[in-house]
Order: sequence, then structure tokens, then C-alpha cells
Amino acid sequence: MSAGLDRRGFLRGTLAAGGALAFDLTIPLRAGAGEPALDVHHWIVIHPDDHVTVRIPQSEIGQGATTALMQLIAEELDLDLALTDWTFYDPQTNVSQGNVYVHTSTLASWGVKMLFEPMRLAGAQIRALLLASAATQLDASAADLVIDAHRVRDPGTGNSVGFGTLAARAAAAPLPDAASVRLKAPQAWRYIGRALDRNDVPAKVTGEARYGIDVQLPGMKYAAVRQAPVFGGRLRGFDAAAVRELPGVRAVVRIDAGPSGYTVPPTLWDVIDWQMDDAVAVVADSWWQAERAIEALPIEWDDGPHAGVDSAGIARELAAALDAPGEIVRSEGDAAAALAAATRVIEAEYHYPFLEHAPMEPMNCTALVEGRRVEAWAPTQYGDEALRIAAYAAGAALKDARFHLTLAGGGFGRRLHNDYVSQAVQIARQVPGVPVKLIVSREESLRRSYYPPPLAARLRAGLDGDGALTAWQSHVVQGTAVEQPYGFTRLAYPVPHVEMRYGQIDTPPGFAWMRGVGHTQMAWMNHGFLSEIAHASGVDTLTFQLALLDESRVDPARADQGDAVARVRRYRRLLEAVAAQAGAPPEGIGRGRGHAVYDMSYVPGYRNSCIAIALDVTLDGHGGLRVDDVTATVDCGTVVNPQLVEQQIQGGILFGLSNALYGKITLREGRVEQSNFHDYRLLRLAEAPAIAVHVMPSDAPPTGIGEGAVPVVIGALVDAIHAAGGPRIRALPVMDHELALRADA
Amino acid sequence: MIRLTVNGEAVELDCDPDKPLLWALREDLALTGTKYGCGIAQCRACTVHVDGRAMPSCQLPVARVAGSSITTIEGLGETALHPVQQAWISANVPQCGYCQPGMIMATAALLARNPSPSDADIDNAIGNLCRCGTYPRVRAAIHAAAALATPPA
Ligand code: FES
Ligand code: FES
Repeated sequence: MSAGLDRRGFLRGTLAAGGALAFDLTIPLRAGAGEPALDVHHWIVIHPDDHVTVRIPQSEIGQGATTALMQLIAEELDLDLALTDWTFYDPQTNVSQGNVYVHTSTLASWGVKMLFEPMRLAGAQIRALLLASAATQLDASAADLVIDAHRVRDPGTGNSVGFGTLAARAAAAPLPDAASVRLKAPQAWRYIGRALDRNDVPAKVTGEARYGIDVQLPGMKYAAVRQAPVFGGRLRGFDAAAVRELPGVRAVVRIDAGPSGYTVPPTLWDVIDWQMDDAVAVVADSWWQAERAIEALPIEWDDGPHAGVDSAGIARELAAALDAPGEIVRSEGDAAAALAAATRVIEAEYHYPFLEHAPMEPMNCTALVEGRRVEAWAPTQYGDEALRIAAYAAGAALKDARFHLTLAGGGFGRRLHNDYVSQAVQIARQVPGVPVKLIVSREESLRRSYYPPPLAARLRAGLDGDGALTAWQSHVVQGTAVEQPYGFTRLAYPVPHVEMRYGQIDTPPGFAWMRGVGHTQMAWMNHGFLSEIAHASGVDTLTFQLALLDESRVDPARADQGDAVARVRRYRRLLEAVAAQAGAPPEGIGRGRGHAVYDMSYVPGYRNSCIAIALDVTLDGHGGLRVDDVTATVDCGTVVNPQLVEQQIQGGILFGLSNALYGKITLREGRVEQSNFHDYRLLRLAEAPAIAVHVMPSDAPPTGIGEGAVPVVIGALVDAIHAAGGPRIRALPVMDHELALRADA
Repeated sequence: MIRLTVNGEAVELDCDPDKPLLWALREDLALTGTKYGCGIAQCRACTVHVDGRAMPSCQLPVARVAGSSITTIEGLGETALHPVQQAWISANVPQCGYCQPGMIMATAALLARNPSPSDADIDNAIGNLCRCGTYPRVRAAIHAAAALATPPA
């Protein structure tokens, strides 16, 4: 440290224990020193002073996993939250112990959904072990014992024994059979369902919270990186001598193209193993020096076959693909015949751009390669794969790798890719024994990301002589992606004749899921088109949607008839509720309300959270738009923490609005044109609407809450803009449109 | 050597005078509560107080703040939580939390010169980006912090 000052007191942010120990997210030692804390079947650690540390088997990207998952296990173990803290699970344990944590990839709003049973079950199993151990010590029957403040007590005698004393026996005994333990009835819940404060908030308001970018190790150096600017480009060479004399520069190294990992367990479904391109990095004493040096480094790239790719060309390819037949992905009745017979046909084309997640913490990873061992720290959404990538990039055996999850400054799908882990480890491998923190600049993070791809869609609807909707035909073509036609094929509104086609064209940037996935990209178009049909029928969108949401319109011969009817009922219930909760619609010139409802269902029978939104906008007539109020009604099954649900709905709404209003990544000469927040605009506080969230009571199993609002709010937005007298928005982002009031408004 | 005061303590920095204050704080002083988000004064995750004024630190060379008094999130409310931090905890404002030190520093500076800001004042003063969508809670917490700091007479 070059600063001449007393660290004590002043540096409240400094690591107390210095370096690796403080960032080893294994368990901090507590009082009762001498005796070790004991790991009890991977899920918890019991300290000699009866305190408990819970291992959280998900990444914390802002969604509140450390709070919600804590509530699940604490419920069955009767933990006292004042005597409990948390740590992240150890990916090495999960990978080497046969997936003991059941579900560790943080995606698809699955944390609570996938772990609702397993974490309660683990709590109940460990409780049984603790009670059995206490029964022996207290000479009592386990069935009579109660847990209070991490002591097991015999109410008959008043005798008690602490968790710390019971831990050794509980850790040594096998977990009881799942069938032999009984979970609490919901009526007995003391934590589940309560709006507990987030357990990560105090550290996040004092600056003490440690993100990946904050990792500090003794002797650590910093790295800055440049990946091939054109997707698929190769490194020809660089002139290290040109920067070696710059202040602080220690090394200039190459990073090889290669795998950036799976984003979900390969057992879950067929997945792409993502790739990254060649890159160059500078290692220096300071990140600022490293970044300045790499900026100055002469690098020669072979731009490869995609050097001529630009957004206009991609748009032309998408348009051409829309004219090709495409693959039929949903078909009921005879849409072509119904359209031919229709009294009125409505047709429209919709477009969606490339986007980038832009989590506020740029990509980063800290790595240390020593001998055959590799150790890495990073904010990632998939720690197991980060471990495997670290081992692979280091050329190490999996058993010789350690990976530590850190807090993540947002994720939104970007951190499912572990390219930055590979990059950091490849750098560290070339400076063995030196810990290196790679920080990918915002510019590089934005330009060399993985992106939800652009798409174009053509929709046609047929109305009969009575104005009834008889046919719906749509064709969606998108850039390179995991197949995601569900984003538009899961239209829940019953229409007698349906034909949907899907196709893809090749686009060079690597594909990414982003909050709301294919639903976000496509469902808003269905909503926008419904709004167009309603307008053509001379009815407001809400009335039109409610009329369509009539279960008697569902064809009883449909294979998924039960699912289809259930969705129609649920949509109707939520839409009616949100309409009532939003109150009187706004009045006056340039003002309007939009409505949308959606449930992010991937396939028939996939039950996800259902969300209805009413959204009010004001258009000032001079191109200005303001989103005034948003009301959301939510059915997400059992609520573990209503406060977290509200946060995620607020966050999803603002994420969706930000992207819909401003989000657009474009390509020119094979490169991303945008570079930072001045040209990749995000919503600011002054533009954020007031948001009211209403959660419907439910005792169904919990469904996800992180993503569901995103597709709905975009649908409601485009409906509202038209209802306010503005243009029909068929291409995002909204900022590309003149928002003048229509003559007919 | 560049001399300045950080969180009430005299500090001597032995680094390039062009080095932005953000990186001097994070690397030379190990004060990592101040965050890097963009480096171009757009996101304000790096907001600190320079002689009481909220400023992004990512484009501020340390030479320019020689002799100044800097407060970072670590130094806000040195003995007890600052009212803004208390209000933030009560309202459960943070999600990922990465933007929050900057939000809190911007808010503390706002309240210091305007103890009961209107919504419009808040709109003008808080330009910090939050990708997680904490804005509604930020606004509510600013009003709550204003009430905490100035209890009704
Ligand atoms: S990092 Fe300074 S404003 Fe973004
Ligand atoms: S809380 Fe995540 S960026 Fe603001």
C-alpha cells in the first residue's frame, strides 16, 4: 500500500484478515476458538457457540436468494435468524458430491421454485438428526423435544443442549430417508410468507459488501482485456514492446479462443457450449494502467468472415427469411382458409433489436494459478461451470480447482457465460503464483457480450362479418439463438384457426438469454397485435381481451385443452383484478392506459407466474413520453417473501421499460457500435413510473418471480402509447419513433 | 506525493497524478465501496463527496483533488449509520446493491443542501443508473431519510 496512513478505523472497507482468507468464502471462525465449526451434510455449518451458517446454493444477483432460500431451510430447522448467517455454496463440493445442492445454475427464475422442496427437506432432515442426537444426551424422546434459539430443549425437564454440542453426532450420522421426515404444514410456517428484511442489505449500504470486482489478494495485479472486435475474428499478433515500458506494465499475454462454458447443466436439456474469441490482455500494477496500456497496444486482428456484417444487412436477411415458408410450429384448424374467407384481414410486421444485459458491475474475475492448482473468484450465475472452466483454462484437474462465488452486481443472464473466468485464468496461468484481477471495461463488456438476437415477425389476423377473430397467422424469424418459438406460440387467447411459423438466420454474435428470454422478445408482439385487432374492431384493448378470454372458445378437441382452459381463466382473473386495482383510467389529450397479461409458459403444463399490468402514459405531443403509473397484479403461487416479490416485479417492470424505450445494439463492419451508457441508454430515476404491486393469495407451489414482469410491461407499453393517441409501435426501441399524436386520436 | 483528506484522515498518495480518484480509492487505499460502472461519468456508481459536493470520481485525476477532503461510502456516518443509510435499510432499497453506494452518496449530498427535497428536486439530483430497478424505493427512502434527518418540530 502506497498510502501513508493508519489502516485502523479509517479503512473500514479494508479486509480485516488480509487477502485470501477473507475471500475464502468458507466459514469465518466464531467464538469458542479451538473447536472447529462443523459442516453438517453440506447445507449448514454449526459453530461451537451454536451459531449456524447456511450455505446458499444459488448466485445472488440482486434477486434476494440469500434471504428467500434462508427462509426455507430456517423454517424446518427452526433457526433463529439472529444467530444465523450465510455463505455461498462451494461449487467443488457440488461437482464432486453428485449435485448435492440439487440446483445451482441461477436462471429462469428458478431459485425458489427449484429449491422450495429440497431446502425445506434438508432442513427437516438435519432437524431430525439434531433431535435424535439431543434425545440421547437428554435421555428423552425426540418427539417431545423443541428447538429454541439453537438449543434443543426437553419441555418436561427444562434441560437443553446447544446445536454446537450436537453438531458432531449430527454430522456423522447419515441423513434420514426423505420419506421419513415430515415438512411443516403451511399453517405452522413462521418464516415462509413473511416480508423479512433482506439479509444482504446492511452490508450493501455501508460499502462493506464484496462483489467480484472488490476481491483483493496479497500481491495482486490487475488485467485489462481486448477480445477480437469482430465476432469470430482471430488474433494475428501484437507489439508488446510498444507498451512494455509504460508505467506499471508487467506482462502482455494472449488469450486463446475456446469454450466459455455451459449455461445450464448439460443434463437439463440440449445446450450449446458457448465460445469466446481470441483476446489480448495487459497485466499491470493498477487496472487503470492496464487499461491505458491495452488501449495503446498495437494489435493485429484477422477479422474473419464476419467483417462485413451490419445491422442493415441483418434486417434484409430477416425480411427475406420472412418471405420463405418457415417451419410450422403450431397449427390448429385451417388458418389460410379462414383468412381467405375473412371479411377483414389485419396484417403487421414487428421488429426487435439486439440487446445487452448491462449489469452495473462489469465482467470480472480474479484468478491465481500455482503449480497444478487454480483458484478463482467471480460473480457468475453458474458457479459449477465457472469451476469447470477455471480447471479447463488452467489445464488443471477438476479436483485441483477451487471456485468462489462472490456477490454479483446484477446478472440478467449475462453471467451465465463464464468467458471472463476463462480469460482471467488464462492470464493467471501466464504469470504463475501471481493473483490477477481481470476487470473487463464497460466498453469491452458491452461490445464483447452475448446478446439476445434481433427478430422480425409478420402477423395476420382474420375477422368474420360479425367482427369476431377467426384466424391468427404469424411467422417469426430471429438471429442465431437457442430455439425459442415459445415466446410467441404460447398465445393463450383462443382463436379457432392458428398457424405459426418459426425460423432463424445466422448472426455472428454469441447468443444469450436475457431476463424474460424468448417471452420478452416475442410476447409483446402478440400483445401489440391484439391491440391492433381490438382497435380495428372499434373496441378498447381491455374489453377486447376480456371478451376473447372466454373458456367456451377453447376447442374441446385440443390435446392441451385442460391447460388452455386454465390459462384463459387465470388470465381473465388477473386482467379483471388489475383493471379494478388500477382505478379510473387517465383522461385528457395524450393520455392513455394499456393492458397486458402473460404467464411465461414454455410448453403446455408448464406453470409459471402470471402477471397482469395496467400502464398509464402521457404523450406531450412534441415527441415526449412519460410512463406515469404502473399497476401489476401477480399470481406467483406460494409467496416466500412478499417484499422480495414486490422488488422483483418493480425491477422487472423497469428493466422491461428501459429496454423497450431505449435498448438497441447495432452492428457495423462486424463490430458492436455502442460502447457505454452514453450510447446504450438506460432508464433513469426521473423517468421511472410509480409502481403498485398486488400479489394474489395462493397455496400453489411457488413459481418464479424474477422475469415475469418484463414481457408483460412491454406489451402494456405499446398498447398504452396507442391508447394515448400515439403511433403504433411495431419496432423497438420506442425512442426510434416520432411520438406525435395521431390525427384520429 | 499527493496529499488529501479521505474520510477525515490525512492521506498521501504516491501514484500517477492523472490516476482517477476512483482507482486511487479502490487500489491504493483499498476503499472498494466506491464502484466502477462506466468510467465516463455516466452511471455515477463512483460518486463520492469532494469537499461536500457529490461528484463522479472516475474522471477526476487525483492531482485535481490535492488538498481536498473526500468522503466515501465507508466514511459516511463514521460513528453511526447516516440517516440515509438507516432509511435505505428500513426500505430494503438494494437489490444487487452495486449502484447503491453511489446513490447513497448522491442522496446524502442532496439532503445536506436541501433537507426536504421535492420529487422534482430528487429527479434533478439523482442521475445515478440502477439496472435492477430500485428507483421507486430510492425515491421513497430519500423522503424517509429527509424526515429522519429533520424530525418535525
Ligand atoms: S464509473 Fe464513474 S460515472 Fe460511471
Ligand atoms: S441495485 Fe443493482 S444496479 Fe442498482
